[in-house]
Amino acid sequence: MSAHIPVSTFKPYRGEKARLARAYDYLILVLALFLFIGSFHLHFALTVGDWDFWVDWKDRQWWPLVTPLIGITFPAAVQAVLWDKFRLPLGATLCVTALLLGTWVTRVFAYHYWNYFPINMVLPATMLPGALVLDALLMLTNSLTITSIFGGAAFALLFYPSNWPIFGMFHQPVEYANSQLTVADLFGFQYIRTGMPEYLRIIERGTLRTYGQYATPLSAFCSALLCSLMYPLWWHIGKWFASTRYLTKI
Amino acid sequence: MKTHFKTWLLALIGLTVLSGLPMSSAQAHGEKALEPFIRMRTIQWYDVQWSTQKFNVDDEVSVSGKFHVAEDWPISVPKPEASFLNISTPGPVLIRTERYLNGKPWVNSVALQPGGDYEFKVVLKGRLPGRYHIHPFFNLKDAGQVMGPGAWLEIGGAASDFSNTIKTISGEAIDMESFGLSNGIFWHLFWGLLAAAWLIWWVCRPLFISRYRMLEAGLEHELVTKNDKLIAKLILVGVPVLVLVLNEITANRYPDAIPLQAGLDQILPLPAQVNAGTVNVDTLKAEYNVAQRSMVLQVKVDNRSQSPVRIGEFSTSNVHFLNPALSLSGVMTGDNDITSPGLSIDDDKPIEPGEQRVVTLIARDAAWESEKLDGLIRDADSRIGGLLFLYDELLGQRYISSISAAVIPKFS
Repeated sequence: MSAHIPVSTFKPYRGEKARLARAYDYLILVLALFLFIGSFHLHFALTVGDWDFWVDWKDRQWWPLVTPLIGITFPAAVQAVLWDKFRLPLGATLCVTALLLGTWVTRVFAYHYWNYFPINMVLPATMLPGALVLDALLMLTNSLTITSIFGGAAFALLFYPSNWPIFGMFHQPVEYANSQLTVADLFGFQYIRTGMPEYLRIIERGTLRTYGQYATPLSAFCSALLCSLMYPLWWHIGKWFASTRYLTKI
Repeated sequence: MKTHFKTWLLALIGLTVLSGLPMSSAQAHGEKALEPFIRMRTIQWYDVQWSTQKFNVDDEVSVSGKFHVAEDWPISVPKPEASFLNISTPGPVLIRTERYLNGKPWVNSVALQPGGDYEFKVVLKGRLPGRYHIHPFFNLKDAGQVMGPGAWLEIGGAASDFSNTIKTISGEAIDMESFGLSNGIFWHLFWGLLAAAWLIWWVCRPLFISRYRMLEAGLEHELVTKNDKLIAKLILVGVPVLVLVLNEITANRYPDAIPLQAGLDQILPLPAQVNAGTVNVDTLKAEYNVAQRSMVLQVKVDNRSQSPVRIGEFSTSNVHFLNPALSLSGVMTGDNDITSPGLSIDDDKPIEPGEQRVVTLIARDAAWESEKLDGLIRDADSRIGGLLFLYDELLGQRYISSISAAVIPKFS
């Protein structure tokens, strides 16, 4: 049950009511921002974790597979609330922006000032292009099915190319200790991480090698398929949280 | 109520006083946390030394030494098929510039061979001034960290003196401290501004209650305007095109980019340094006397060398038990190693060439308890491991044998 309002009796808020409603908007926005900064950031740090923390974990197989798959969860849930109840197509962008704010704060204060890592070693990845497309697609189609299939896929497929301008330069080869490394690998070797031996990196492990050296597109399409499934799952989790059962009068 | 107020006031005053007391930061690395049988029977360190313990930011320091990979590797610990010689530091206060295993440079993880002997060298460079407690140690995959001898390093100078420039294969010199940072910030700001513009576009109008009411009233068509749809279409087409164009530009800019490197180094052990065959030691029995905090080892020594030898040291898990009858000034230990003159031998006469003798060694010291090595007798795997050093005083030779035996506890 929800607060159904017959169109014949609908009157827009004016005066004091309108001001209060606007104040409520800002209150919710600020709370939502901090909620998503905290919760999405925690969720992301515990699941994507090292793949997003370190420049020498951002490989071509696991990073583009895991990051969008986990990254689409909160955007889907929040879109379900904001679109379904308010026709606001900003859930994905809001979530990813909140995540990035939290991530940057952590990278600067916890990783750099507290633990002395250079910030360029812990640059976060961005998912904002995918989030913008996800929001726009949901608004234009108003369809969970189409957004799941095409939006979920776009979110995954856009991830690696949108981050290559940030991280491509870290993949330049370096001759070091009689071997060829990337600049990113060298960061991992030089800047000592006591609890992070090289073998812990889950990179380049897998069998996505059928098409020679083109592992990235395979990973991205695998992620696209999984994101298309993950999106509706989290959409329904979001809907479950957004009950208006007890809202009878507004 | 009054009573509660007093309690809270006292607690608050107590906390304030406590917070004002000088506190030293924790400087241990969990050396004693790992089960003793792993510390004693995996990586057996010896001859570890630092080139200097006082230096400035941007100066280099090296730590070198040797280790024997125990033959009697615990069954419950995965074999060292991926191991990483690391340095325990409180963050990258030093950077690692070079690392050698048996004289070969290596950067990845390595497969070690049980029974193998290795020598290592790690070159570090001071990055942040301060006084730090540092260990070389091995990360063993699926087993944990086996600490080597610890030392205190004092790094002087200013953090701003640090520099770390390297060259790419194409010859471009890059500063590792700032490389790619401004570029990364630029792209985050670029996409952040686009996202912010999209959010502000929506947030500028009445949001939750107003829109919910309109939606419930069936006025959905008024909530999304033609302009909204136009902008959304621009995003839907423009963002993917922009992403692909930027990706292509970057790919053309760095045509030699390669994937992250994930190889496992293969470095063969040195010719045998421990159990080299000249002086053989066979462990017959080991008993731990709980009350006396002493390990009693019965060993059979077979001297196949050309000179008499004497037992000088028994070493396990960075605890060195020395035979006081020998002057062993050359024993290298870390600052935090325990060196005890508590090694006694029932028959300490030199073992002549060709002689086989059964001797009983008693390694007695409170270190068995303080280093939490006595926990061995309560472990699932209660075998001891360590290195026995024998000396040829005439020729100045040293022979090393590994010790390995099940330990029987004696409670009286």
